[in-house]
Amino acid sequence: MVRALLLCVLAAAVLVAAAGARPLATPGVTSTEIKIGSSVPLSGEAAIAGNVARGIDAYFKYVNAKGGVLGRKLKFVYLDDGYDPGRAVNNTIRLVQQEQVFAMFSSLGTSNNLAVRKLLNDAKVPQLYVSSGATTFGRDYKKYPWTIGYIPPYSEEGAVYGQYVVKKIKKPKIAVLYQDDDYGRDLYAGLRRGLGKKASAIVAKVAYDPTSADVQPQVTQLKASKANVFMIFAFGKFSLQAFNAVSRLGWKPQIFVNDVSSASALMAIVPQNAANGSISIVFGKDPAAPAWRRDKGIRLFQSILKQYGTDVGSRDLQDGYYTAGMATAYTLVDTLKKAGKNLTREGVMRAATHLAEKNNPFVLPGIVIRTTPTSRFPLTQVKLQRWSARSWHPFGKLVSVKPR
Amino acid sequence: MKLKLSLEVLGLLCLAALIAVMPRLVSSFTAYEMATVGMYFIALLGLSILTGYSGQISLGHGAFMAIGGYTTAVLSVNGVYGHHIRDLWTIPIAGVVAGAAGLLVGIPALRLSGLYLALITFGIAVSFRQIPLKFDHFLGGTSGKVLSLLTTPFGLPTTPNNWIYYLTWGIAFVLLVIAWLFVRGKPGRTLKAIRDSEIAAASSGISLARYKTLAFAMSAFYAGVAGSLYAIARGFMNPDVFPIVLSVYLVAALALGGVDSFVGLIVGASAIYVLVNRTADVTRWIDHLPGVNLNPQRPGMPDVIFGAVLILVLIVLPTGVGGALRRLFGPLTTRLYSKS
Repeated sequence: MVRALLLCVLAAAVLVAAAGARPLATPGVTSTEIKIGSSVPLSGEAAIAGNVARGIDAYFKYVNAKGGVLGRKLKFVYLDDGYDPGRAVNNTIRLVQQEQVFAMFSSLGTSNNLAVRKLLNDAKVPQLYVSSGATTFGRDYKKYPWTIGYIPPYSEEGAVYGQYVVKKIKKPKIAVLYQDDDYGRDLYAGLRRGLGKKASAIVAKVAYDPTSADVQPQVTQLKASKANVFMIFAFGKFSLQAFNAVSRLGWKPQIFVNDVSSASALMAIVPQNAANGSISIVFGKDPAAPAWRRDKGIRLFQSILKQYGTDVGSRDLQDGYYTAGMATAYTLVDTLKKAGKNLTREGVMRAATHLAEKNNPFVLPGIVIRTTPTSRFPLTQVKLQRWSARSWHPFGKLVSVKPR
Repeated sequence: MKLKLSLEVLGLLCLAALIAVMPRLVSSFTAYEMATVGMYFIALLGLSILTGYSGQISLGHGAFMAIGGYTTAVLSVNGVYGHHIRDLWTIPIAGVVAGAAGLLVGIPALRLSGLYLALITFGIAVSFRQIPLKFDHFLGGTSGKVLSLLTTPFGLPTTPNNWIYYLTWGIAFVLLVIAWLFVRGKPGRTLKAIRDSEIAAASSGISLARYKTLAFAMSAFYAGVAGSLYAIARGFMNPDVFPIVLSVYLVAALALGGVDSFVGLIVGASAIYVLVNRTADVTRWIDHLPGVNLNPQRPGMPDVIFGAVLILVLIVLPTGVGGALRRLFGPLTTRLYSKS
């Protein structure tokens, strides 16, 4: 008996020694913890999008309460960059060098991610599921193998609207308002591609400067073209102003509004005579949409946020940014599980490029989050949705937005 | 008077020694952070010559930093006729380009003073960001320009973080000595005379135009060098890298450090760095105080803390850190001077 006990102790001692002797190969990973970093706007004009990170944080705490990922707890360190790429670089260097994170995850903004891409790839730190629809994050993997995107590319979104117009609208005359930068131009180029031979149906297009005060003059100009279709490829307050202008001018076109500027909270405060009937795309479940009121995923989302979120009010339970955060967090947890117990940075990139996730509770039913080493766009299916009675209503089948 | 000079030289030598040993005392990332402080310090040195000595207020120095940053980005990424210039060599060019821009602004600024000049320069800060958007094929627009990675050149035996630290503080030290030589001699006296009374200065035969534009060009040169270093350290340039509000921060930091105290400016530069990049940590410290309950991750909280700290400091130290230091050590040093 004593001998057996001694043997056990000896075996345990050897195991501990072996575990201790093994060099800590991967930064940010211990036997009990995985450290994940992110840089997001918590202040400044884009502060509202910081709720994505808060959603992620709440979801990680929920996962930790249920035992973590293969026995390891997730530690999420997210820093404020005020949407300034210089600060995003500083944050990223701090997270990688000082905080020693295992990977960067879901940092927000196209230029903020472009600014750190070289740096992270040079240091061989995974830049996972970036919060930007710029095609380059999924397309340029040969040059930047440690980077992968998440949301559908903007150009493909534009193409979806173009294809819908060709199919459903007789004698379309299209007016386009778009932001005068890569983001707006991506959407516009996609629209032209989607229209194909009917691209001549675009009768007017006006770009606005992202620092301008109001887009009403541009909308007035577009109305003069007598178009019956109006594309709003804008951002935040500009799309709000566009709807206001449409209502004030008494214009009655079929409106299409791009995903980024179609949050339910925003749509609910614009004049409803203009907003009603507007069309957009959707891939995540919107907690404000009646379609999901009894949905299991949204109920899970709300219970997690209530229990693990910090400073959560009743309005946050209807906020799609939180759900979007949880959707990516779910995919990351899946990826980490797939990468296995012996977690390495190479292993997590391999897992991230071999996804086949069918059951993410926070995206539309039927969407499969799929990647391969040569196709690095995780979300490539969307649905169209129409605004009526103060909420979005998805319709039709899933549409592919996979870049060709 | 001789004693004062030797004290100041001693101070400079101490500063040089401190700069040299610092990276051995702190972590690699802290050295990188201190490099950023050095960049703000360079910009503040220039602003101090302009505001502290010539009495002209500029709310547009963020734009001159951006001009420096863009000069470096264009020369090292686009190149000149296909020849990419190593980022290190673009630093003086960036200073000269920004200085030339400063000279251009300085000429109309001759006719304006005080509040009006502040408004005009703020207008420059606000409208500058349109230029990279307008010429986006050349300057990268909002998507920006990705510079080469921060690396140690010439095989020097140091890390990239320490390299940018030594580079920045080396340049900062040289520019500090130049500024010191400039203001302690005739030009400094002349600028002070202009600041105190333009009419009196002009009637003593001082060329207002020459000295005021010189001060403007010189301070813009400093800002351009600072902006160039910042772009090299961050490896990225777009209009948001030097936000409009940075120009305001610089003036606030100048007030915090003391408008004509070069040593106080290091405190001002540190304050900009901490308040821009470390507000969450400041909030966490405040949160530890008894009876305070703040959530650093709450939306908008960093903005609130930034404003509150700034107001508090300016109430407690109305003449800035430099002024406070002078009041603290003033009695001591004046006694020393009077004995010599």
